[in-house]
Amino acid sequence: MLLPKFEFHEPESIEKALALKKQLNSGARFLAGGTDLLVYLKKKIVSTDHVISLQRIDGLGEIQENESNLFIGACTTMAAISRHPAVLKRFCALKSGADNMGTHLIRNRATIGGNVCNASPAGDTLPALLVYDAVALVESPDGKREIPLTDFFKGPGKTDLKNDDILTGFRLPYPPDHSGAHYIQLGKRKSAEINVVNAASFLTCEPGTSNILSARIALGSVAPTPIRAPEAEAALMGRTAGDDTFNAAAETARFKDCSPIDDFRGSAAYRRAMVGVLTKRTLAEAFDQARA
Amino acid sequence: MKSYDVISTRANRIDTPDKATGKAVFVDDITLPGMLYGALLQSPHAHAKILSIDTSEAEKLPGVKAVITAKEAGQVKYGVSPARYDETVFAVDRVRYVGDEIAAVAATRLDIALEAVSRIQVEYEVLPAVFTVEDAVKDGAPQLHDEFKGNLCAEVHQEFGNVAEGLENSDIVITTEMKSKRQDGAFIEMQGCIAEYDNRGVLTLTSSTQVPHYVQRTVAMVLGMDVGKVRVKKPYVGAGFGIKAAANPMELACCMLARKTKKPVKMNFTREQVFMYGRARHRFHHTITTGAKKDGTLMALKHECWLDGGAYTSFGIATVYYTGSLLGGPYKLANMSYDGYRVYNNKPACGAQRGHGAVIARACFEQQLDMIAEKIGMDPLELRIKNMMETGDTTCNDLNMSSFGMAECIEAVRNGSDWDKKKGHMPPGKGIGMACGFFVSGAGYPIYRSDTFHGTVIVKLTEDGGTALVYTASAEIGQGSDTAFAMIAAEALGIPLENVRLASGDTDMGVDLGAYSSRQTLMTGHATKEAAENVRRQVLEVLAEQLNVAVEKMDIRNGFIEFDGDTPDFSTLRTRYIKEHRGWTDNPDSDKLTFKEASRIAFLERGSIVGTGKYKPHSLGGKFKGAAVGTSPAYGCSAQVAEVTVDMDTGQITIDKITDAHDCGKAINMTSVEGQMEGSISMGIGEAMHEEVIFDNQGRVLNDDLAEYKIVTTMDMPRVKTIVVESDEPNGPFGAKEVGEGAIMPTIPAILNAVYDAAGVRVYELPLTPERVFHAIQEYRERNKATA
Repeated sequence: MLLPKFEFHEPESIEKALALKKQLNSGARFLAGGTDLLVYLKKKIVSTDHVISLQRIDGLGEIQENESNLFIGACTTMAAISRHPAVLKRFCALKSGADNMGTHLIRNRATIGGNVCNASPAGDTLPALLVYDAVALVESPDGKREIPLTDFFKGPGKTDLKNDDILTGFRLPYPPDHSGAHYIQLGKRKSAEINVVNAASFLTCEPGTSNILSARIALGSVAPTPIRAPEAEAALMGRTAGDDTFNAAAETARFKDCSPIDDFRGSAAYRRAMVGVLTKRTLAEAFDQARA
Repeated sequence: MKSYDVISTRANRIDTPDKATGKAVFVDDITLPGMLYGALLQSPHAHAKILSIDTSEAEKLPGVKAVITAKEAGQVKYGVSPARYDETVFAVDRVRYVGDEIAAVAATRLDIALEAVSRIQVEYEVLPAVFTVEDAVKDGAPQLHDEFKGNLCAEVHQEFGNVAEGLENSDIVITTEMKSKRQDGAFIEMQGCIAEYDNRGVLTLTSSTQVPHYVQRTVAMVLGMDVGKVRVKKPYVGAGFGIKAAANPMELACCMLARKTKKPVKMNFTREQVFMYGRARHRFHHTITTGAKKDGTLMALKHECWLDGGAYTSFGIATVYYTGSLLGGPYKLANMSYDGYRVYNNKPACGAQRGHGAVIARACFEQQLDMIAEKIGMDPLELRIKNMMETGDTTCNDLNMSSFGMAECIEAVRNGSDWDKKKGHMPPGKGIGMACGFFVSGAGYPIYRSDTFHGTVIVKLTEDGGTALVYTASAEIGQGSDTAFAMIAAEALGIPLENVRLASGDTDMGVDLGAYSSRQTLMTGHATKEAAENVRRQVLEVLAEQLNVAVEKMDIRNGFIEFDGDTPDFSTLRTRYIKEHRGWTDNPDSDKLTFKEASRIAFLERGSIVGTGKYKPHSLGGKFKGAAVGTSPAYGCSAQVAEVTVDMDTGQITIDKITDAHDCGKAINMTSVEGQMEGSISMGIGEAMHEEVIFDNQGRVLNDDLAEYKIVTTMDMPRVKTIVVESDEPNGPFGAKEVGEGAIMPTIPAILNAVYDAAGVRVYELPLTPERVFHAIQEYRERNKATA
């Protein structure tokens, strides 16, 4: 199995990348880390004559701490995300997702933009990005626009991006005080795993009480895309955090929010059951952080 | 106790510097002038008739030098066991699995070869295919081989003692089933080879193989050449685990392409092709009934097994026998019956893998021992001690335990794991379990019927003196055999390890059956020891003449000559040595005569000092049909304790610790023994926990890469406490026997028994995925609810 021949382009600006893409027509593919694309090319799942690397474009590999939010460039690697102080301090669920992806070698190459554009229902960073209310930043020949991540995924491998779009990065609002978040992935082995189910939860509590002010839950591998769990979230709003509340939310997520299927990695029934367990556990951990 | 200078230490392996620095040469590192690249056309269908093959478009492609099919290759049948040759290099008129080889191309570049393969036009008539044992044995099922009706590749029926009577006289009778999944060896280095055909008609195949000797014979047979004109050698090999223990069709195709083009040809499997080719552990379905007395005495074992064989026999005949024969121990058991069936179907063939045939049988049986112990209120460890065989015992199927440190292994893991404190006292969700096992130290007989020696070794002393060169055709595949034989040669000769150089893995060096059935340490080790002792004797004979001292009054140790009583005056010898080495910087000035001087003098008197060694086992085993399979000059044995945590809500299992004791006879290299123990445990955990080759309904492997075929990562590996138990094996060189495969035997049942201890559930199907364990826990809870 050989990598097929293609022409390799390395533009140094977004403008040049957009121009190239337009010039080469729809056949060209953007490349970030390449850990998905090169495998697809080798296995002939994808074919193209032109690959446009985004790696030389200034700023796409950076993380910036803005006043009210964190910018993560689309070409930031999993390894870089996992060791960035702002991520460690404010976005621990994202760190867990980045840490759990693939192996060391993969994490040194794979990018968060690639993980999102690959749009696998099992993507490791996607539940965390969803519960942190991430917004995708997109540039096209028509200008810049923003897509909330909740609107970004359209199906397995399918996104809201148009052919001429480049995903440049994400904006993650800083979580308010008294909030916490947690991510758990469940697979057959302890690392280098493709998730059977993964889940992230985010909670903000009223200071000094256990009243839940806001709650977000995201689930992976239990629908055609990673999803939020709106029914379960609604079941948490305004309630007092605790085992009973979390159990009720977990049951809601399990029976109302997800629509898993059977495949060779796991059965729908098991996935559904695990949605309950992981929802409960991520909520409990998020609450512990919110309270701390 | 004998004292040793080299063996039984933790010597640095002789291959480590090359491997650590990337200098070690594997097949894929080799490029030869004018070398062509080969590629295979493999069937996309699980079962189809080949109506026609048109290679003309492929041949037209610039850069293509040869295209071969069954037409050029001929129809010589080959396989592993001569009793069952059922393969041809290329499919003649029918393909039987997705991946069955149809044609091969050699071209100046790999991309051209692959393109040419895609241009070969094959007209198929797709036939109904069958993928499971259950479907394959049904009336009217598609038939794979005309000669084997009902898709029954092989069946075995054996009874020793009287099982019905044994069960009748039992107080407790337990019957359970155990189902496993097809494995992949998941070695790091995919199969690869380079064939060269020289102007004198000699074919040299350099291959990533465990068995240069068998590959040599198969190549000669299939290509219709003299064995003497075929040389097979291996460079460094990135493991094999049994899958590389026979010639593969790529090696044969590569040889044919080289002979046809008169150019070197290189071929490699991709990882996907490794999965497509298969030949790893079968999928087993066991039903075992065990009877015991109330006091724990084992009375009888009734065993039936169905093996999912795939499209060809490969090692399958041996596998189906091993599956039965290796339950004969390590417990005293007078009555045992076995009915084994290996069934063909349209998937890649299965073959041999570490713990050949016996691993899942043991996983089933060792769980039953725990069930019996529970029923009679006995510690499962005590039950095993009560029934344990002892040194000198022979099983009901005629396997003799010439050394057997099994009881010592059990005591070692009992103490090493703190069993007595933990068993029965683990908190909820945590459990402890144990199991035992044993395995051959080399198959008692070669795969083909022959009086051949199983191993020959040549030791030659360099003419300048001081260095011993060891030549062996054995196969270092990562397990450490080169180091072991260098150590054995050094010990037997009486010189430091650094003064031994070793070359191996080349059929020009002699006969060695290769790295399978855990045979090399004992068998090649014997031959090495004999060759080194031969050389030692020659040196001492010359000294005896020169110094007028009897050979028996001299010894060689650590590179010096030791004399019984007074050291004779050897100044004449030293002067003679030094005179020849004027200007050299390392002339001896020690009080003792050095081996270097002695071996130089020996050369001056006798010419090159060369010694040979050889080994074959004594006559082994009983007279019944299949008695040879399972025989061995010696058996290694082991006990393991597993400690696990079960997440009762998700079904996830964490293996916290494994304590492993193995009786390897005398450990040649203590570090390598521990490495084999840990490696075996890693492979056992993979099979127990997450490894399975999964097919779609067309017979295609769904998880043909190491992302989806889940071997153990470092994160899955528990702490392992290895305890080496050294017995003195009378049939082993310096008392040594196996560790490479026996160490995997207890791993799976120890884990299963620990899971039961932790969660109260017995799981009768592998792997223990979170989902399977979760469902077992749910059922268990439902059951308890119902009875509560």
